[in-house]
Amino acid sequence: MDKQLDLLQGTLDMLILKAVSLGPLHGYGILLRIQQISKERLEIQQGSLYPALYRLEHQGWIASEWGESENKRKAKYYRLTAAGKRRLRAETENWNSMADVIAGILGTKPEEI
Amino acid sequence: MTFWSRLRSWRRVILDRSRLENDMDAELRFHVEAFARDLVGNGMERQEAMRRARLEFGGIERTKEECRDARGANLLESWSQDLGYGLRMLRKNPGSTAAVVLALALGIGLNTTVFSFVNALLLRPPTGVEAPDKLLQLWLHNRGTSGIEGYLPVTYPDYVYYRDHNQSFTGMLAFDGDPESVIWNRSGEGQVVLGQLVSGNFFSLLGVHASLGRTFLPEDDQPRTPRPVVVLGHSFWQQHLGSDPQVVGKSLLLNGTSFTVIGVAPGRFSGLLVAIEPDFWAPLTAAEQILHDAGRLTDRHGYWLFAVGRLKPGVDAPRAGSEVNLLALLIEQEHPDTNKNLGASVFPATLVPGPYRGYVSAFTGLLMAVFGLVLVIACVNAATLLLARATGRAREMAIRSALGAGRARLIRQMLVESTLLSGLAGCLGVLFAYWVSPLLLALKPASLPITLRVPLDWRVLLFTSLVSLSTGIVFGLTPALRSAKVQVAPILKDEVQSASYRKSRLRSVLMIGEIATCMVLLVGAALCVGSLLNANSIDPGFDTKHVAVATLDPGSLGYPEAKVRGFYEQLSRQISALPGVSSASFVNHLPLGTAREQGAAIEGNHSVAGQNGVAVDVLRVAPGYFETMGISLLRGRDFLPRESRAPGEASGGVAIINDAMARKLWSGQDPVGRRITLGEDTGLGLEIIGVVKTGKYRTLGEEPIPLVYLPRLPGRRTLVVRTSGDPRFLLDPIRREIQAVDAGIAATDLETIEQYMALPLFPARTIGLLLGVSGILALMLTSIGLCGVISYIVSQRTHEIGLRMALGASQQEVLKLVVGHGLTMASIGLALGLAATLGLTRFLSSLLYGIQPGDPATLLGVSVGLIFIASLACYLPARRALSIDPIVALRYE
Repeated sequence: MDKQLDLLQGTLDMLILKAVSLGPLHGYGILLRIQQISKERLEIQQGSLYPALYRLEHQGWIASEWGESENKRKAKYYRLTAAGKRRLRAETENWNSMADVIAGILGTKPEEI
Repeated sequence: MTFWSRLRSWRRVILDRSRLENDMDAELRFHVEAFARDLVGNGMERQEAMRRARLEFGGIERTKEECRDARGANLLESWSQDLGYGLRMLRKNPGSTAAVVLALALGIGLNTTVFSFVNALLLRPPTGVEAPDKLLQLWLHNRGTSGIEGYLPVTYPDYVYYRDHNQSFTGMLAFDGDPESVIWNRSGEGQVVLGQLVSGNFFSLLGVHASLGRTFLPEDDQPRTPRPVVVLGHSFWQQHLGSDPQVVGKSLLLNGTSFTVIGVAPGRFSGLLVAIEPDFWAPLTAAEQILHDAGRLTDRHGYWLFAVGRLKPGVDAPRAGSEVNLLALLIEQEHPDTNKNLGASVFPATLVPGPYRGYVSAFTGLLMAVFGLVLVIACVNAATLLLARATGRAREMAIRSALGAGRARLIRQMLVESTLLSGLAGCLGVLFAYWVSPLLLALKPASLPITLRVPLDWRVLLFTSLVSLSTGIVFGLTPALRSAKVQVAPILKDEVQSASYRKSRLRSVLMIGEIATCMVLLVGAALCVGSLLNANSIDPGFDTKHVAVATLDPGSLGYPEAKVRGFYEQLSRQISALPGVSSASFVNHLPLGTAREQGAAIEGNHSVAGQNGVAVDVLRVAPGYFETMGISLLRGRDFLPRESRAPGEASGGVAIINDAMARKLWSGQDPVGRRITLGEDTGLGLEIIGVVKTGKYRTLGEEPIPLVYLPRLPGRRTLVVRTSGDPRFLLDPIRREIQAVDAGIAATDLETIEQYMALPLFPARTIGLLLGVSGILALMLTSIGLCGVISYIVSQRTHEIGLRMALGASQQEVLKLVVGHGLTMASIGLALGLAATLGLTRFLSSLLYGIQPGDPATLLGVSVGLIFIASLACYLPARRALSIDPIVALRYE
């Protein structure tokens, strides 16, 4: 297992949106999916997940309903809303361009200036 | 989109707090258990797996709290915390809370009451009417005159012209602006009811549908084929016909003519005029059958109809106004004799007709201003109290601030408390208005046939809420800002003696303002009460104790003249024979009422008494009138029965004049035997046979008016009966005698002369009562406020006073210190108040009898009284200063 990374400030929301964009999930499922996609390299504080979910739902980007889990248990499932989809797209673009800029800056070699 | 989802989520939070908690619980538990299950799947022992899962999850309660925050649930919670805390603070000081709330409740309640009258008179549209905002009222106005005298309603021919020629209205209706008292002959017994004549399209154009039967059709209102049909008022139908469901088709005998009931109006509809609820409506064209007045519909001089049009879609009021003005010019060309200079204009169809709204708003505006001042005083009281409390709570505020409460949160906390106070006061105020409005309505003289509905509708409640809220913010803001500016460290270290000079200066300024306001109100109250006393003591020129009166109109039943005379002669005999009656007579109308007859008189015999005659009032009286009314005959003799039966004044009639007239025409000489010519007479003129004492005829405040009494009476008369005892016991016998002589006739306004006098005294009584009450309230509130401020200052200066006493100050010096401070404030307030009074009471001058707005005795009296009350209010707390024990005061640090 590679070394785990701490989550960058403000990126949890984006990861949650991405996770539920692949299909409705309950809170624990979202946690597992993010860890699975990141190949266990991201460390997410379990307790910080839920305030983020509640905030996203309050803002209308995800919606929730009660359903049944794989183990026939009652669980609350989150899915992406239309507004959430737009938000995810905007955040992704924003992130990518930001990442390019940062990578460009960090990749600068002395002779290029 | 996200805004709505936020709203939805807040709504869920607010409405379903427990579900949010349960959901959160279940969700987090699911998470922990699912995690544990996975750990068990990896081979961990179950108990250990649960422990691990909980540990890795972190603090569940903290997570929950963060979730709640994310939902905005805590926003609500912090507000409800403030609210709960505020309530607790109010409960903690029940005495001062009750004092503030009660004072504010009185202030708000009085304002609500006045506003409910403003609403009933000026703001409320006619009820039960479809789209009342599309209705316009048509008024003629004389281009030559200004003011309200220039406005006239319309004549029937005018109405027909405007109705048939306008392009702006989908239709135009008309109704009798001064509804008629009609005698309803109910199985042989007469009863007076109120009837309004209306055009055939009245109900249909207003969109009023009958609750039973039908309303009028245009066919009911054709001049050539008048139909004797009526629509009944809902409350009349309920109260007098027992809500008879079979009433349609039955007939009522009204003024001697049989009318068929075709329907009952809905309960919500009570006509288009304020305070007038007709018992029935009849078509305009039935005027002749019901009033026995044949000429009404053709008369171009009788301005008796209020015309109302409903605007066509797309037409606005200014366009309709210019159109009717154009039509007025066309009528003027056709009828230059009657319609010369008569323009037309439109007003919104309000319950108080357009031209009169100015008067009503001036009167109610005055009352609003007066009670607004009372509210200001209550506000200042509340503010000084809160200020005192805020200073006492400086330590609490400092602690809260040290614990991390922001400035905004502290201000919010204080404002929540003050609006709680004012909100509570507002609720009480509404109750107060609900209870007082009917009492105010009861002030109205019984003889005024008006039924004013004063509902506490949404407008009134909105007004009260706004007033309460702004009151709370106004009196709470200064203390709130003050308390949020706490200096944490010094207060917590107990270094500050909190009565700084600045703080008590603000309080003193507030107090001075309060005293000044109180002064204005007191002077106003004193003037109005003085005026009421004056009005009560004005001698109207007749006996106001031992007379009973009743108005009769057998002419309205269509009786011929001989029958009318027979009725009165027999009635006179029967009444005179009643036990306790010393005399009885008739007059065409009582003085100081609303009816008036005027003329011009000139000395000697003239063919025409022209323009240069003396303007006189005319009363027509039967023999015995002067004796019955207690008017002394100065010279000559009373009329003889023979003279009142004479066919006309034309051939050598006689007249009696009053003293004012005698002085005017024959200053000092004996007028008896001389002759005058009255405006309408030609030929021989009238011989003066007597002179009586001058009385009051139009208003109680008037200068002496020349008056001529004539001996011949019309069919409509007022019976006056003199008794040696209490005239109240005569009312029933008089009613019985009238029934006995002719069961079909009923008296209107059967009352004692004292009850009758309520009418001319009504304005003075109302104003005197209302201002008197406001003055007393202002005085009470101000003295309580002053007392509170002084006792607060004493408590803050305990240390200083103790020190002075320890250093040898005498009790007198301490007393002077404390009372002196209060009296300085009182004197400054008094001076400011006096200055304001001189400016403001001018508005009262038209309402005052025999007292000038700047009356020095009143001003002096009020000033002395106020200073006396102020000294008393200062003395009580000052006595406490004397009982300060220097040792205790100094030890207390």
